[in-house]
Amino acid sequence: MATVESAVPIRARTRSERLVRLVSRGPLHIALIGIAVLWLVPTVGLALTSFRKPPAIASSGWWHSFTQWDWTLHNYDSVITATGMGHAWVNSVIITVPATILPLTLGALAAFGFAWVPFPFRDTLFLIIVALMIVPIQTSLVPLLKLFANHGHLNNHYYGIWLAHTAFGLPLAVFLLRNFFVTLPKDLIEAARIDGASNLAIFRRVVVPLSVPALASFAIFQFLWVWNDLLMALIFVSDPSKQPMTVRIPYLLSTYGQEYNLLAAAAFLLMILPLLVFFSLQRYFVQGLLAGSVKT
Amino acid sequence: MSTQPLPTPVAGPPPGGGLRKRAWSGFERFQGLLFVMPALVVLAIFLIYPAYYTIRLAFYESDFHFGFFHYLGVDNFKELLTNDPDFLDLSKFPPGGALINNLRWVIFYISLSLIIGLGLAVLAVRVRYERAVKTAIFVPMAIAATAVGIIWLLVYNTDSNIGVMNAVWHGVLGQHQVSWLGNPAIVNYALIFAYVWASVGFVMVVLSAAIKGIPMEIMEAARVDGAGEWNIFRRIMLPMLSLPISVVTIWLFINVIKVFDIIYVMTGGGPGTTSRVIAFTMYEETFHNGRPGYGAAVAVIMLVLIAPVMVLNVRRFRTEKVVA
Amino acid sequence: MRRKSLIASAVALAVIAAGLTATAISAKPTKKSANSIEVLSLWGGSEKDAFLKVTAAFTKATGIKVEYTSARDFIPDIQTRLAAGNPPDIGILPRPGYIATLAKQGSLKSLSSLGLTNKYMAGNYSAGWLKLGSSSGKLYGVPAKANSKSVIWYKPDSFKKYKFKVPKTWAQLLAITKAYKAKGLVPWSVGAGPNQSQWTLTDWFENIYARTAGPAKYQRLFTGKLKFTDPSVANAARIMTQIINNKYVLNGVQGVLGQSFVGSITDVFGTNSKAQLFFEGGFVGGIATQQVNPALKPGKTIADFPWPTIKASLDHPVVGAADFAAAFKDTPEVRQFLKYISTGPAGVIWVSTNAVTSPNKKVPARAYPSVLARAEAHQLATAKTFLFDGSDLLPGAFGDTWGFALQDVIQKPGNIKSILSTFQSKIQGKF
Repeated sequence: MATVESAVPIRARTRSERLVRLVSRGPLHIALIGIAVLWLVPTVGLALTSFRKPPAIASSGWWHSFTQWDWTLHNYDSVITATGMGHAWVNSVIITVPATILPLTLGALAAFGFAWVPFPFRDTLFLIIVALMIVPIQTSLVPLLKLFANHGHLNNHYYGIWLAHTAFGLPLAVFLLRNFFVTLPKDLIEAARIDGASNLAIFRRVVVPLSVPALASFAIFQFLWVWNDLLMALIFVSDPSKQPMTVRIPYLLSTYGQEYNLLAAAAFLLMILPLLVFFSLQRYFVQGLLAGSVKT
Repeated sequence: MSTQPLPTPVAGPPPGGGLRKRAWSGFERFQGLLFVMPALVVLAIFLIYPAYYTIRLAFYESDFHFGFFHYLGVDNFKELLTNDPDFLDLSKFPPGGALINNLRWVIFYISLSLIIGLGLAVLAVRVRYERAVKTAIFVPMAIAATAVGIIWLLVYNTDSNIGVMNAVWHGVLGQHQVSWLGNPAIVNYALIFAYVWASVGFVMVVLSAAIKGIPMEIMEAARVDGAGEWNIFRRIMLPMLSLPISVVTIWLFINVIKVFDIIYVMTGGGPGTTSRVIAFTMYEETFHNGRPGYGAAVAVIMLVLIAPVMVLNVRRFRTEKVVA
Repeated sequence: MRRKSLIASAVALAVIAAGLTATAISAKPTKKSANSIEVLSLWGGSEKDAFLKVTAAFTKATGIKVEYTSARDFIPDIQTRLAAGNPPDIGILPRPGYIATLAKQGSLKSLSSLGLTNKYMAGNYSAGWLKLGSSSGKLYGVPAKANSKSVIWYKPDSFKKYKFKVPKTWAQLLAITKAYKAKGLVPWSVGAGPNQSQWTLTDWFENIYARTAGPAKYQRLFTGKLKFTDPSVANAARIMTQIINNKYVLNGVQGVLGQSFVGSITDVFGTNSKAQLFFEGGFVGGIATQQVNPALKPGKTIADFPWPTIKASLDHPVVGAADFAAAFKDTPEVRQFLKYISTGPAGVIWVSTNAVTSPNKKVPARAYPSVLARAEAHQLATAKTFLFDGSDLLPGAFGDTWGFALQDVIQKPGNIKSILSTFQSKIQGKF
């Protein structure tokens, strides 16, 4: 694979050469930095708004807040306690964690089967799963709503949405993990087989430890996917006390539609965890996304 | 930012390789199925069966019980495509309706995201702070569409003391305040741009990684021969990027068919029904207007539109092409 | 690299743990105990606060806790929850038409089955209100609160400054509109856009229609006996555009479609006022003085006058709206709550919040605390002709669809006829 710098021209050496380069590439720098700054503007605007008081928001744009140091944490307090966003945050966690672990586990097991344990119709089944990756969730809303209601009121608990998310996360899990598993050294696995290890033991002791990057990639991708999901939660979690943040925030719009201080704080609460995950585990996230470029 | 190579989709190793001492026993032959079974069961019940149910429901009139109330044949589809101006309105120019809105999204969202993402990737690769630029552009990818909606509601606010867009348009450029989300002629483009903002990061990261895979010697040789940067870009880089670009385009296309959250949060399909998209129509017809059969027909149309991607995925995987 | 990502994961986990602890401390308890009910309605802000005062009194008297939830778009909310087998205990809904739809579905419990006999209800409510809460002869909804929708809000100090007289006819209202415009001020703000605000347009239409086509036609139109393609409908729609057009509303028609209901109240009565006149119902007073701008002085900086007449012969029909409490489940707590809501004392508490009027016969006039509220109650009680909000009478979700149609009307006044015929074909046979 080519090095990181492969497409970059050779660096200038002397000081005057560097100066000339800087000036001639001025427009490039301006364009790039300008666009990057522009791209950050909307998010920064929201962040600043979440720290301002309502009268300030109505009378001056958030870009003035750099000079008007009138910041407050009150919005976050109101949003967490008064509007129930704190509770919704917890709901988001409750929904997301199992909905990540389940497809990861089932997917890894299935991927191992597809990669290293031959059985009849293996390739056909795998192709079917690949095809399922892009089925839109709209096709599941009505039937699952009915299914959950008729069988154990799964809508009143989290089981319904956990299962729905697991189902829609499995095709990508299987695809991504299987593709990774087949790149593992054949000899290692064969050696373990010769030593008499069962398939399950091979999975647990050989494959999984070697696959942490791929497992992490999928886990992070699925975590963010479920955390940020709106439509499935809207339909499958109709009990208001169980709804996650993505569903409760639009509710704020109808009752406090003008109160951007609350909306901004709520939106930021929603964003904090994914942003943290993104910044700390960026490499894995990007990999998951790249591989997930085939998932809907 | 360097990324490890993507796992290449190659066929699995032959069963048992060459070191197997004895043939697979009957149990072992089916043990693979055991590994796969839990996943298959979950998929069958919660993904495949619902899809079948929905497809069947599309041919019926249904009610709030979501049952198969009354067989309609293809009437739902006929009504959707010929008699529902909110879905498809070909009687005027430019045509209107949710389906046409998705077409607008296909054209503008995909092209804008590609152009900006590719442009940024090509430019950023030449500077040392490339990683910072990529991060800044990529951050919106981690943000939920709900939050993207709130962010852009603030940006598009009509009051130029609140909304950045009008602050610039009115305060700096001196134009009348525009109601970005209230004007039926521009609301769709406003929404599209908000989603482009959130998606460009993905395009940029993928194409940036791909650009780094282009051997430097070819480009240097072209430069030595006197080729200008633009020609190098057009004649060398673009063709070599055609595969990643197609992957990204497919991802963007899938996004377009499924886009829902941003419309739900920002406009609710409004003003009136002018910013509806088919995913939103499905939701409205099924849960608001109480016509699940009709909504199921919309879901089927979504499936039909996305089916070519399905076929492409399967085919591409089968012929074992490298993804990136 | 391994260590870095381990640290990162640890950080993430720590954040999660911290977050969970923090919210566990501060979050509301949500375990539904046996002694609580869930009430769903659409109110937020000051209207919600008013309702919570009523429920607090209920809890004090009975020990039953009331959990209030609001919905963004109540129809899909209720339908999804019904399909999930998990509806709220009680829904307080503004649309008799939708309540009838729910009753036909079998999703509601009739009041008589809950212990509220017809005789009892007749003692507290006039026949007109009871009819609205019924479907197929059975009573399903307790009229909970009412508001007049035939008042226009203005700034008395502004009128005094420009020597405007409170208009009694449409022509006079138009003249004031033009006069404001001539002075460089934006006359009106209308919010008919995001967050389901299109119902404000339907109220404009209903007041105009009642004053141009008359009560009989009004009743027939909204109960399916008169088609929307009737010329009287197009006529009223056209009159509506005499004020709601690019000249007289804040930010023009596009601004109307981009502004929400509460936002438009803020445009007129907020601290950064941008327009002068506002139309919506009696509840505006409460929202404006309690939520939008507590510095308002009723009578000085905010007041209302009755909708002007258009056709002198049709005088002043009052268009009003009400919310009805309907039960999805039959439990002892539900029965107690509905009984409580239908009593005089509950009504007295509710109107004391200055946000609503009560349709309950047992609530005396002196229970209303302010001039504004008393005037509204008076208008409702003494109305020679009282008409219920038409769009709320439409079945199913057509109240929303009608709002969308009116949004189209103000954008393209030239297409009124085709917009109306499209709507008629949608609603044909659905009554």
